[in-house]
Amino acid sequence: MHILATEGLTKRFPTVTAIDQLTVTVGPGVTGLVGANGAGKSTLIKILLGLLPPTGGRADVLGLDATSRGAEIRRLVGYMPEHECLPPDVSATELVVHLARMSGLPRTAARERAADVLRHVGLAEERYRPVGGYSTGMKQRVKLAQALVHDPKLIFLDEPTNGLDPRGRDEMLTLVRRIGTEFGISVLVTSHLLGELERICDHVIVIDGGRLLRSSAIGEFTQATQAVTVEVDEGLDELAARLAAEGQAVSPQGRMLVVKVLGPETYDAVRDAAADLGLCLIRLEQNRHRIEDVFREEVRAHV
Amino acid sequence: MSEIYDIGYRHYDGPRLGRGYATRALAVHSLRGVFGLGRPARSKLTPFSLAAIMLLPAIVNVATMALIQQRVIQYSGYAVIMQAVVAIFLASQAPTLVAPDLRHRVLPLYLSRPVTIASYVGAKVAAMTVAVFALVAVPLTVMYLGELVVDMPGPPATGEFFGSVVMALALAFLLSAFGLALASFTPRRGLGVASVITVYLLSFASIPLVYGALESTGHDEAASWAWLLNPFWLVDSVQSWLFGTPPHSIEGGYPSGPASAVFLVALVGIGLGALMLRYRKAAAR
Repeated sequence: MHILATEGLTKRFPTVTAIDQLTVTVGPGVTGLVGANGAGKSTLIKILLGLLPPTGGRADVLGLDATSRGAEIRRLVGYMPEHECLPPDVSATELVVHLARMSGLPRTAARERAADVLRHVGLAEERYRPVGGYSTGMKQRVKLAQALVHDPKLIFLDEPTNGLDPRGRDEMLTLVRRIGTEFGISVLVTSHLLGELERICDHVIVIDGGRLLRSSAIGEFTQATQAVTVEVDEGLDELAARLAAEGQAVSPQGRMLVVKVLGPETYDAVRDAAADLGLCLIRLEQNRHRIEDVFREEVRAHV
Repeated sequence: MSEIYDIGYRHYDGPRLGRGYATRALAVHSLRGVFGLGRPARSKLTPFSLAAIMLLPAIVNVATMALIQQRVIQYSGYAVIMQAVVAIFLASQAPTLVAPDLRHRVLPLYLSRPVTIASYVGAKVAAMTVAVFALVAVPLTVMYLGELVVDMPGPPATGEFFGSVVMALALAFLLSAFGLALASFTPRRGLGVASVITVYLLSFASIPLVYGALESTGHDEAASWAWLLNPFWLVDSVQSWLFGTPPHSIEGGYPSGPASAVFLVALVGIGLGALMLRYRKAAAR
């Protein structure tokens, strides 16, 4: 069962090809769409909303063709744009109630849903104040609330963590995860950082220059690579020499040491070596895939 | 002790109404916006003081009908006489209807819903039309009710009154389509106000130039066309053709026949077309 699918989807603008032969399927749950700025993420969302006709190929959302049945799709999905889109002189409540009615909810239902949804995104008393005075984090929450207010089956979140400080970013990501799990609404969330999507997604799609680089379950992305990073206060060279002498594959990387994991005994070897040499062990961390690794691997595969 | 329980997320399974409902809701919301209803008091100041100014001559007219049994203003000439007030209303309120959504890029929030560009533009034009219509038709109605109550000698001018109400609607439609189109070309409210008022002043000031030039060279017939450069006289000319009312131009008559009606329809079409193009472009951004 899939909630959206594209097949050979292509979008060309006069000067640039934004989406290039993209074939991908997305199942229920939280799906991350990762790519650098200009990779075609926002264009893809606009096509899926039926707002932008594709140049070629097809796209299906909730079993509806995006080109011909966009109006039906837009009744069932929510959209949180990337850019600022809130009029400053109305309160969050007024705005969300109004937009709920624009989605076809009768007046009383719109009020109830707006109150519910604003509570879920964590806006309390401030929701009665004009949006113009809100912090970036609060504005992002209002944008999220308006995307949820009509209880969509699927929501598109375009860079929801944009402009947030680390704490706001964490809260937003937790909220996105809750939407996908507790609320039971499928989510397509874009970001240019794979790292932040790792925590909340079931599935990740990586695109670059409008092309599909990779689409796979999150487990395959976050698989630990067979190496650990070791950081010690001082005595890095001694440690490296000692580990090398024990037959471990060691390579120094700046003030850190990357040790190839040959088996569980590697961790013991690092621990014992640090203890024997009396070194202050600061960090022992498994290396993880980063978006850079994905790009690097794909580029290597293409060459 | 009371406790707040988190009942968790609740799904909505009530009715989901269609595009027609959303468009109507947007039109009503916009109409309230024109008069500053649901907004702070200072947003109500301009529209309501202009509406009060529009009413004054009607009240004076009712008073003169009661006291000296004389009409000061005719129904058919009301809009032409009060045109400056109507133009200021249009200039000051049209930008409040379109500028904020463009300036703050709110449009995607509408277009990602069942609302389409056509229904968005339609709702805005409908709201502005109703507002301008009310501005002109309410004083006319006050005057007419006054006339019925005062019981002037002779039959009441019912035909002229209804004719002028119909023409008020045509005028409101023309002004709204054009005013909103002009206002939508800039996302800044102040510039929108300025551009609408500038176009109105140009249409007003160009008449004596064109009229005078043609008349002094002996082209009296052609000179009458000059009146069609201004929307208020254009609508009056259509009124004069449809209902046989006397022209309220300052000098000379209007071109005879349906030409001015055709011109009116064409202008409305141009205004609506420009609006649609403007929003197509804004939506693609």
